Amino acid sequence: MGVPYVPVIGLVGSDLLKRRDDMVVAADPFGGGKVSVVAKAMRPDIALFHVDKADRHGNVSCGYQVDAVILAEASAHVVVTAEEIVDRITENHAVGAFIPSILVDAVVHAPFGAHPGGMAGRYAPDKAAMQEYVSASRDDPSFAAYLETHVFGPRSHEEYVERFVRHASSSSFPREAEPEKT
Amino acid sequence: MERAEARDYNDDELMVVLMSREVRDGEVSACGALSQIPAAALLLAKELHAPDAELIILNTVFRPFGTSRQFHFFAQRGELGLFFASGVQIDRHGNYNLHQLGRDHDRPDVRFPGGYGGGLIYYAARRTVLFRTEHTRRSFVEQVDYISAAGATPPEVLRLGGPSKAITPKAIFEFDASAGCLRLESIHSPYSFEDVRENTGFELGVTEAAATKLPTTGELSTLRGAVRQKMIETNTYGGWAERMLGAASI
Repeated sequence: MGVPYVPVIGLVGSDLLKRRDDMVVAADPFGGGKVSVVAKAMRPDIALFHVDKADRHGNVSCGYQVDAVILAEASAHVVVTAEEIVDRITENHAVGAFIPSILVDAVVHAPFGAHPGGMAGRYAPDKAAMQEYVSASRDDPSFAAYLETHVFGPRSHEEYVERFVRHASSSSFPREAEPEKT
Repeated sequence: MERAEARDYNDDELMVVLMSREVRDGEVSACGALSQIPAAALLLAKELHAPDAELIILNTVFRPFGTSRQFHFFAQRGELGLFFASGVQIDRHGNYNLHQLGRDHDRPDVRFPGGYGGGLIYYAARRTVLFRTEHTRRSFVEQVDYISAAGATPPEVLRLGGPSKAITPKAIFEFDASAGCLRLESIHSPYSFEDVRENTGFELGVTEAAATKLPTTGELSTLRGAVRQKMIETNTYGGWAERMLGAASI
């Protein structure tokens, strides 16, 4: 929205408010005697997010990740990673939300960039890899080892995909991406 | 404690049916992400008594909006009639906790992902029905360890609605807005008043309670037929629907 702060209905009396200095309870300046939370705008320096398709000018078709639009509008700089780079995307071609290039600083081609998360319509979350991450995060040494192997180890995204994305080249990769509790 | 006889429905199905009865025809009713039981309840209500209900089931095909911003302002405008919410802990005052366990807020014993928009919707939807699949003293407590959203607020707080009920596999509580607390409304047979008292961490506020009207064969057959099929076809918690709806009892 680009406004410095916004009133919101909610959160009064919650413990969350006690820990946040970017939300206060304030009186309605137009009278009526009611109070509500007023939240300060977030203005990230850089937003980095993964989308379905982008073109070389920075026009973006978000696919399922429609809330990326909000990130792009709020942030001073925007870097987008995309499953696929195509010749030209206009608002008419976009699936899900469209982000115009004027908001985007850089585009990176990164197939399987959501891994181990999923990308609706392309590949499902990699549950085994997720489980590996959860197990590794139980203590600091195992998490450090995980980071060494999966994050700092691969010299490039291509190497990460080759080593850790199962079925990366297989058409049998599961496509379903249903959000569900386990 | 005497063990209940096997019923011909499971706890999830019981919750779905009881929650579906809270949906009003012509109203907008919604639930969040990771909400298979409320999603089924909304779809069941639409098949049965609320054909003109508008449903919002986030992260599924039953989602009229593109962005969460649109959903946020829709709720802030007061257009949500009913919302389903849950908490790890729910207390007597209708506060719920989705954040963390342990009294020391700086050193929690367990941390959870927290609430997404629930801490706003709890104040903006006209009615929120709380639900919890575990009815024990650790989930229904006198005072939550951390208030993610408050059940009652002072009159000067801008608020469009609040909790109306809490539904569990054992009982239904109603929220008394003037007293600012939950009160036992009805008990699902075969559970007794004693069962509910033993498993609730706060005073029930009554000395007896009516028997809940249990799921009818009509409700169950629609749930296991049309609703189950719709959930599978539309990939709306289809895996859960396949597994739980019509599955063996208890």
